[in-house]
Amino acid sequence: MICDRIREQIPECLAGRLDAAAREKVIDHVDGCSKCRAEMAELGVVWRGFESMSEPEPSPEVRVRFLETLHAYQEGYQEAQRKQVYSVPVKSWWASLWPSRPIWQATFAATLLLVGGLGGKYLVGGRAAQPNPEMAQLQSQIENLRQLVTLSMLREQSPSARLRGVTYSYQVTQNDPQVEQELLRTVNHDSNVNVRLSAVDAITKFAQNPEVRQALIDSIPVQDSPLVQVAIIDLVAQSNDKKLAPALRKLIEQKETNEAVKQRAESALKKLEATR
Amino acid sequence: MQEVRSGNVGRLELLFDRHHRPLFRYFLHLTGSRALSEDLVQEVFFRILKYRHTYQADTTFRAWMYQIGRNACMDQMGKRKGEVAMPENLGEFSSAEMLPDRQVQNKQETVLLHKALAAMPAEKREVLVMSRFMDLKYDEIASILKCEVGTVKVRVYRAMRELGDRFFALGGERAS
Repeated sequence: MICDRIREQIPECLAGRLDAAAREKVIDHVDGCSKCRAEMAELGVVWRGFESMSEPEPSPEVRVRFLETLHAYQEGYQEAQRKQVYSVPVKSWWASLWPSRPIWQATFAATLLLVGGLGGKYLVGGRAAQPNPEMAQLQSQIENLRQLVTLSMLREQSPSARLRGVTYSYQVTQNDPQVEQELLRTVNHDSNVNVRLSAVDAITKFAQNPEVRQALIDSIPVQDSPLVQVAIIDLVAQSNDKKLAPALRKLIEQKETNEAVKQRAESALKKLEATR
Repeated sequence: MQEVRSGNVGRLELLFDRHHRPLFRYFLHLTGSRALSEDLVQEVFFRILKYRHTYQADTTFRAWMYQIGRNACMDQMGKRKGEVAMPENLGEFSSAEMLPDRQVQNKQETVLLHKALAAMPAEKREVLVMSRFMDLKYDEIASILKCEVGTVKVRVYRAMRELGDRFFALGGERAS
């Protein structure tokens, strides 16, 4: 154990790094311990073997290369510092405009928001009052595009695509006769009940047109779905159109008419007679 | 180094002049390649410049520099696994200031010593180089290797012991 501790100090002893007391302790032990003495001798040979080595020098280019790198770095560093100095006054100029107290900051922000909102309203309102031919042309183009999309979707093979077409028709303005006719065709001839029901809802905005109402009244007896019949009765009854009454009576008299449809027709008829 | 850290990077020239030679020898002992060692010296001082803000005053500059050097060397040796471990020219380490007969014997011993050193595991060779050639104190080595001073003492002794065994075996004085 003592030998292990002494041997661990041999390199330091050979290097002359031990203090006088520690060195003396090692030497005392080595004098009395043959194994440690042999160890000291062997390691001493190795240690001194290094002394015969010269100390190789790096080539002078190493220093030249380093100085080039250092100077390039210094130039870049100073340039970056100069840019930083120029950027400081701009920052402080903006900062000086901003109030330091939170209450004034909030007031300032609210004022800016109000000014922006009023300014925007004024600008938009001013422009709307003036006829803008370019804007009108653009709106017309958009309307044509919507009509085209609606018509093409209503003629799709897939019921889901036709349903999307019916939904898209809400974006078309009321005066479009092509869309109106296509929705009527869908109500009368579409093979899918859901598409026909959706088309009845979508055609509501065209119901002010007497021709559309008449076409819907004519459609009631030819519909094979009670749901669609009820939806059409409800839609036309809202307009209190007297032409609906004969069609409703005929529907009530027919034996093959669905009971729920009969009830809805009777209800609508009473409502129509009450308004007379 | 404190001045360099605070932005006076021109002062690094002084530190370079003071430390680049021992650093070069450290790399030469570890890699055996003069060209690679010179490149590593450049790399270390470039890293010092780049990471100067990470220098802590509680570490000596020398210990910090060798820490960076050690990392740079490991990066390089990782790229060159299995390459040079022996010095390209062993004569570089032989002193010319000796009498001819003694010079021949010493040159042979130096060659053997270098062969023995080159054959040692890298971590043992490194601790020996730091202790014997860089003249680094044990606490500095401990700081570089991030271990206790007592551990360094044991490692240096064991490395010396192994080097002795290899050296005498190569000289035919002991079975390997």
